[in-house]
Amino acid sequence: MKDLKITRRVFLGGLGASAIVVTAPVLASVVNADTGIQQVTKAGQFFTANELTVLVDVAEIMIPRTDTPGATDVHVMPVLDAMMLTWAGDSTKSQFKALVQQIEQLAKNSFEQEYIQLDQASRNLLISELDKRAFANTKTDLSENYREFKELVFHIYYTSEEANPDYKVIPGGYRGDITKLELIEINKRGYL
Amino acid sequence: MKQSEFDVIVVGSGITGGWAAKEFCEKGFNTLVIERGRNVEHRGPEYTDMLAPWQIENRDLIPESFSEEGRYPHILGKGYLRNSTKQFFTDEKEHPISYPEDKPFMWVRGYQLGGRSLTWGRQVLRWSKKDFESNAKDGHGVPWPIGYDDLAPWYDYVESFIGVSANKDGLDAVPDGVFQKPWEMSAPEKHIASNLAKHYDDRRLIVGRAANLTEPTQEQLELGRGPCQARSYCKKGCSFGGYFSSLSATLPAAKRTGKLTLVTDSIVATVDYDEQSGKASGVTVIDAHTKEKRSYKARVVFLCASALGSIQILLNSKSKSFPNGIANSSGTVGRYIMDHYTGVIADGEVPGFEDKYNYGRRPIATYIPNYRHEQHPGTDFIRGYGYQATATQRKNTGTTAKRVGIGAEVKAQARQPAPWRFLALMYGEMLPYYDNVASLHPTKTDQWGIPLLHIDATIKENERKQIRQATKDIKEMLEIGGCTDINLRVVPETEHIKIGDRIHEMGGACMGDDPNTSVLNKWAQAHDVQNLFVTDGACMSSCATQNPSLTYMAITARSANYAAKLLESGEL
Repeated sequence: MKDLKITRRVFLGGLGASAIVVTAPVLASVVNADTGIQQVTKAGQFFTANELTVLVDVAEIMIPRTDTPGATDVHVMPVLDAMMLTWAGDSTKSQFKALVQQIEQLAKNSFEQEYIQLDQASRNLLISELDKRAFANTKTDLSENYREFKELVFHIYYTSEEANPDYKVIPGGYRGDITKLELIEINKRGYL
Repeated sequence: MKQSEFDVIVVGSGITGGWAAKEFCEKGFNTLVIERGRNVEHRGPEYTDMLAPWQIENRDLIPESFSEEGRYPHILGKGYLRNSTKQFFTDEKEHPISYPEDKPFMWVRGYQLGGRSLTWGRQVLRWSKKDFESNAKDGHGVPWPIGYDDLAPWYDYVESFIGVSANKDGLDAVPDGVFQKPWEMSAPEKHIASNLAKHYDDRRLIVGRAANLTEPTQEQLELGRGPCQARSYCKKGCSFGGYFSSLSATLPAAKRTGKLTLVTDSIVATVDYDEQSGKASGVTVIDAHTKEKRSYKARVVFLCASALGSIQILLNSKSKSFPNGIANSSGTVGRYIMDHYTGVIADGEVPGFEDKYNYGRRPIATYIPNYRHEQHPGTDFIRGYGYQATATQRKNTGTTAKRVGIGAEVKAQARQPAPWRFLALMYGEMLPYYDNVASLHPTKTDQWGIPLLHIDATIKENERKQIRQATKDIKEMLEIGGCTDINLRVVPETEHIKIGDRIHEMGGACMGDDPNTSVLNKWAQAHDVQNLFVTDGACMSSCATQNPSLTYMAITARSANYAAKLLESGEL
């Protein structure tokens, strides 16, 4: 049995002041010390735990943590999982479920292993290759499912608070002719 | 027992309905405003402007079920229809209209208290002398019975109340008015404006004139309005009252007089006509929920239900004297339907400003006013066009979701500042064509039994010629302005342009001096029924190129002042 390190990582995507906001549940996960994969241990609102495990990992490969937060840091998948109930249509729901199966199949075909058993380098390689093929050959189900998923992952990421540290709900005014230094100063003090 | 008799009935609570209500209430008349949509509270739970992007349900994406269920068939996909704004736009599936299969028409509506004043573009441009003279000059449509000088003091009056942030540009095409501090142009906009001014005698790029407060007056502050916070969240409602709407300004002004009665969820089906007096006696409404009918009586009726809404009511108000709809002895109710149209969109990079950035989100675009009132050598069309344009914000290179690439490298790339780009949309003047017409469908009705409006309208050869020239012009102006990498998106010659897409629908009850060819006189008062006024977009005899709401408001205030005098004198 592999050594599983329980992290109790908490996903809190999308919490806000309004009652209408999509609230993502608190999910528990464990990190596999060998593969580095974050294994979700409880089902989400739409996806199963196994599906979430794959999709959380794919989202993190798409937008990894660097000097800025990654997809996992900004809770992309818990938000996306909740949006499956409040936003997604039947077609998208089917597409994303199918995508997990297709990625699993790709892993088996390429490495003769389940996706979650692959090491980080292999998973990066697999998803990078999938990304290239999804745009080179756009007509396959896999390509369409992947591109749709990628688009939503990016949308959720780039509309997150963490990805927009300088965003001001209330800027208080407009300046259209300032230098970068002036902009940094304004952002630092938080007002014009 | 609820009151059912009033001095004045105002149908509609949007831009013009709010103004009519304010004017009559402030003059001491008991005024009933009837709104077909639901009540919306200013700063109430339907406003979403205090939510950050990450707090908005579904990250502001419209649920996919809307597409699956065929909801919002015409405006789904439009940038303004977001999860945070959809409550202020009417679902055309629930409120259908009719049009020829080959000529789809858009009627973008906002059935709620405040109407489309909650979501309007807030670009407030005066019309020029030439705009009011155009019909008489070239013989299209009905000659305007009023000129710029008739409206000028009312423009002043309206601008003072609503608050207009603008620059005094000194241009005949868009006369100056009562302005608050203008918004700043971005560095590339200043550059383009300067280049155009050096090269052309007749073309200018000016900063937009916004109904957003920059220096609120005491009157505006007393109504609970404050300065615009440069959020560009206007279509979500504004808790600051930074932009003008019926909810932030005119209706509160009317309410504080104690003279206002407001009913919502009540659809005006007809203006009722008294054969004996020869006047409108009031209106009959259908409760939006119970579908029960009830009537209200008044000495004066103001239709402010939007151009097409008022036309529908007029046509549906049949009587012995008016078998084809009230005030329709001329047979022109529903004719001369117009809208602005966009035949070309251009954009280009503005190099040389790599060290320039912006802060905040300016709530208004820039504008190139119409410079073709007269024909120029080499052109064979009449009237002209302007351009709504912008380089308000410098964007990042953005995500690669729609392109190949993932991982740290593309993530880092997405945060790089992109070059400034300038965007310009043509806004053409559509001629008033007699056969662009809105009528009642002979068999189809809505869920309240009111005949659907059938709208048959299209642009014609004059507009196609405008597009050809406008495409050449904007390419040249972008080049002279200093742009590179210029893209032109031109509507193909054979492609139908949906009228209504610019949400500036006008005409259908045009003003004119001749009762045989027009519906309304110079006071927007029905030639046939002296206590009936129509002061929304329906009264417009031509559409010019400027955003029309300011002119609607000025006409409404002027007409209300006139009607009030008639009420006081006992003539009405």
